[in-house]
Amino acid sequence: MSYEHVAPDRWRDAIAARLAIGARFAGAWATRHAGTVAWRAAFTTPGGSTTALSSRAADGRLPTIVDLLPAADWDEREAHDLYGLEFDGHEPLRALVAHLEDPAAWTIPVEGDGVHEVAVGPIHAGVIESGHFRFHVVGERILAMDPRLFYKHRGLERAAEGRSVEDARPYAQRACAACAVTNTVAYAQAVEEALGLWPDHDLRLSRTLLLELERLYSHLNDIGAVCAGVGFAPGAMAFAALKDRAQQINLSLTGHRFLFGTVAVGAGVLVLDAPAVDAARAELRELRTDAAAAWRELEFAGSLQARLEGVGVLGFADVAPSGACGPAARAAGVRADVREHSPRLAYENFSPAAPRKPTGDVAARLDIRAAELQATGEILDELLSRPFAAGSTSALRRPDVLGIGLVESPRGATMAAVELVGERVERLRLRTGSYANWPALAHAATGNLLPDFPLINKSFELCYACVDR
Amino acid sequence: MFVLLRQLAHIRREAHLDGADRPRSIALRHVDAGSCNGCEHELGLATSPRYDLQRFGLDIVASPRHADVLLVTGPITTRMATALQTAYDAMPEPRLVAALGDCALGCGILGDSVELMGALEDVLPVDIRIAGCPPAPEAIATQLLAALDSSGDGR
Repeated sequence: MSYEHVAPDRWRDAIAARLAIGARFAGAWATRHAGTVAWRAAFTTPGGSTTALSSRAADGRLPTIVDLLPAADWDEREAHDLYGLEFDGHEPLRALVAHLEDPAAWTIPVEGDGVHEVAVGPIHAGVIESGHFRFHVVGERILAMDPRLFYKHRGLERAAEGRSVEDARPYAQRACAACAVTNTVAYAQAVEEALGLWPDHDLRLSRTLLLELERLYSHLNDIGAVCAGVGFAPGAMAFAALKDRAQQINLSLTGHRFLFGTVAVGAGVLVLDAPAVDAARAELRELRTDAAAAWRELEFAGSLQARLEGVGVLGFADVAPSGACGPAARAAGVRADVREHSPRLAYENFSPAAPRKPTGDVAARLDIRAAELQATGEILDELLSRPFAAGSTSALRRPDVLGIGLVESPRGATMAAVELVGERVERLRLRTGSYANWPALAHAATGNLLPDFPLINKSFELCYACVDR
Repeated sequence: MFVLLRQLAHIRREAHLDGADRPRSIALRHVDAGSCNGCEHELGLATSPRYDLQRFGLDIVASPRHADVLLVTGPITTRMATALQTAYDAMPEPRLVAALGDCALGCGILGDSVELMGALEDVLPVDIRIAGCPPAPEAIATQLLAALDSSGDGR
């Protein structure tokens, strides 16, 4: 695909026109190209097709779109910090990736009687990724919260740039262990789209299998994490053990507990014979039975259930402005799931799961994961009914400069945008489901009690690694 | 609750880890210095029912002031360097440092060198090296126990 070029003074109108037809924002990114910095934005139409806009100003100043599209807030702040773009009207343009000393440069100003700040991190009390939270509170009530991430910024996108499409792939994968398949499939799809390649049926099947295996262990982990968030140790331990079993299925099928090295560009690498899939299917059936029994127990655990309802609410009306997606959006009643429009994968007749009550609170985010776990178990059981061949791609049209891959990660819509010069990566932008949801988490925490934050945080269970990159 | 507890009781401790009778205890403090979160997932599981590090006297503690071993993951980003040093300085002596995973050992797939400090041993004295990308829970448990056994009185 290619860009629709838009003059800076027409940028806001072009974005507004996309939004007016119901297009969904996929992400925005800056690119150094031919001596200047270009600014791109990608959207998906209600029918599922992807379009990209591009603009460029000689002085590096562009009009902001955050008033039209608040979900682009972090994208603009990142482009300012890493590429020096200025966004007229985005005021104050608070630091996001850049770690400035002065708290005023990166926190929301909150003033009033009894308001004080509570600083947490970057090192947390448990085995948790590094990141800093600045809470503005009165007593124990959270008035606002600033997540300050990017302590783990490794420059992975820059390290990938200039490499061949295959050599750049591991950088997309290593951005995050828990999203390794999602990020690599999104990357591979982006490159294949740019190169004009289309995956055959075998490749679509094997990538779908890998994505659902990733969702299986991830959702088991996340249900356990909510239990840990309220100190309900039996639930946390039971689901940790179930997650371990899911990772052992990964290991026996692919040779890696996190499914590393299972996705390539332009072809498949996973070959599974009938005994391998039969054994995995049998293991999976036992795992599903035990997971269902454990889930039933959680439903009757009063000390857990009493903590979930009405906590950390991200309501239906909050979803679009905050940019929330994935389980967090579906828990609020927004039935959006990239798997509905994934012709490069094998999700025929897919329908997004829904919680029993779309209340947008911790209870609903826990419930949607259980519903999705059930659905993922059914998809995997069906997929594992046959052996897997590696699969490949065929040339559909001539190569172009840009490809965008969109994949539903366990945490939401993940976009990989790849700009190519020949078969070299000029720019890689990975905008993961976690990146999209961090502002939503900050919004959901507002008005809650500080001691409930670990629970609210766990109910989103967002990655830091693939946000920081 | 009872079904859950029964289920937990039935999870066989299949990991063949020797030395449940070792007489001492060691407290671990983990610091993520830029990992992909793989090492964190596996370290977390090392304390789950199947591996159960605690039964060997190994436990993960919240404060470096209570820790004997600093367990570090990731390629040591420049942005985590100060926090990592602060955690190390807060530990009582004697203390040990463990590099957990290929990134901390300086041999993983890393990022842009401008953002990284180098391997952990360029920043802190490393006593224990646990390779893997990421090391599995069993490997983490086995190698921590072996390293502690081979370090004499563990210090």
